[in-house]
Amino acid sequence: MKPAAPTFDPGQVSALLRGEPGLLQDWIRHWSAGRMFLYGAYILLGAGTFGAAIGAWRGPEQAVYTALKFPLVILLTSLGNALLNGMLAPLLGLNLGFRQSLLVIFMSFTIAAAILGSFSPLLLFIVWNTPPPNLSAHSVSLGYDFMQLATVGFIAFAGVVANVRLVPLLQTLGGSRAIAYKVLLAWLAGNLFLGSQISWILRPFIGNPRTPIEFLSQHPWEGSFYESVFHALQHLLTQP
Amino acid sequence: MSDYNSPPPGQLPGYTPNPTPAQVPPPIIPGPTPRPVPDASLGSRPEDRAPILGWAGIIDALLREPRRVHYQLRQANAGRLIAALVFIAAACALVYGLVVGTFSGGTQLWAAPLKVAAGLLISGAICLPSLYIFSCLSGSSGRLVEVGGLTAGLLALLTLLLGGFAPVAWVFSQSTQSVAAMGALHLAFWAVAAGFGLRFLRAGFLRTNARSTAGLNVWIVVFLLVSLQMTTALRPILGTADTLLPKSSEKQFFLSHWWQCLDASNHN
Repeated sequence: MKPAAPTFDPGQVSALLRGEPGLLQDWIRHWSAGRMFLYGAYILLGAGTFGAAIGAWRGPEQAVYTALKFPLVILLTSLGNALLNGMLAPLLGLNLGFRQSLLVIFMSFTIAAAILGSFSPLLLFIVWNTPPPNLSAHSVSLGYDFMQLATVGFIAFAGVVANVRLVPLLQTLGGSRAIAYKVLLAWLAGNLFLGSQISWILRPFIGNPRTPIEFLSQHPWEGSFYESVFHALQHLLTQP
Repeated sequence: MSDYNSPPPGQLPGYTPNPTPAQVPPPIIPGPTPRPVPDASLGSRPEDRAPILGWAGIIDALLREPRRVHYQLRQANAGRLIAALVFIAAACALVYGLVVGTFSGGTQLWAAPLKVAAGLLISGAICLPSLYIFSCLSGSSGRLVEVGGLTAGLLALLTLLLGGFAPVAWVFSQSTQSVAAMGALHLAFWAVAAGFGLRFLRAGFLRTNARSTAGLNVWIVVFLLVSLQMTTALRPILGTADTLLPKSSEKQFFLSHWWQCLDASNHN
């Protein structure tokens, strides 16, 4: 009998990144709390580092806050949607249990967190090259908008890659490419919907230069994430 | 008369037939000399496994037999080779930086070498984590050490070639007063050197069993952008300024900085 893979081996994340369906299938069959804990630790580390880089533009205090809040968005999104995702999978033809669905989603977020963690030096470099928040209003506004767009761009890239990486695994588990895409799109839509709102509630991440540094904004339920990105894009494109 | 002694019907006695075409070896047509199979697995040839000895050996292997470097980077004791590659990169960057500094002289004689060397090494360090993640996503079996070694090899080859361009750059730096012209020249040299360095990296990347190069291509764009932005972040490297590094209020994207340099050059 083939011995089960060690559940708390940090090196298994590179196999996860390579997306070896056979190995991943084996891990899903042998569900373990240790593996979930490992993925949680990677999410805390990767997303936390990226969060620190985002907050560094505003200042060290904001870097600490964002390093705490950013992994929280991922963990809360995974756990908040766990029930829904666990139900959607069998409904769409993928015979996965609740815990297995949660593990697959954690795998996806671990990949995203690893990508984001690897981008954090690049983001710090961008921060270093962006006008700091204590300058004139025009420079600050441009810097803030640029940081917002760079952050969204990095997160979008990591999210897309992490989800695409799951397709072969879902295809192996479901036996059909169509089922794999249906489940993936359903999970993606749900996670995006909840994740964007959680990130909006837990704002600020970059830290608005016109407001004091704070862990949570004074009015966390006002406006929406998509409105904010749209206004930033509009502002950046219409600058003379 | 025996039948054995009589010639076959229709054939004259004493006649020896010409050999059939199949029996004649075809004329040798000179063609291209057979080349080694490019995708033969690393280490399958004895020359791949030849140890790389000394500084000259490392430089020779980088320039002539990159497969040997790729093979050695995969071995357990690759640390010394990687350290040597980083040292070569730093030393050659310092030499090239000195030539860059001779354009302005003064403070730039020590500041430019430090900035060129630090800029290249920091660019490599910033981009290394993402290269490793991209290599994993491409299905590569390369370890972090091997990917780090490939990055060190890229920087070493790039700076070696810059060192080769150094005399040419020095001649021009003594002949012209134009910062824009010298900047364009250094940029052209850097582009050629980076092209060869990235070719080394790509070949090594493919030898780690990567299934796709899409991630590598994205990373190459990121590396080039970071390196180019570094020239603006650490300015002045070529000309002179009041401060050693730009002030917070002077932070710029490299394209807008170049545009300003060209504009200033046109007005002068």
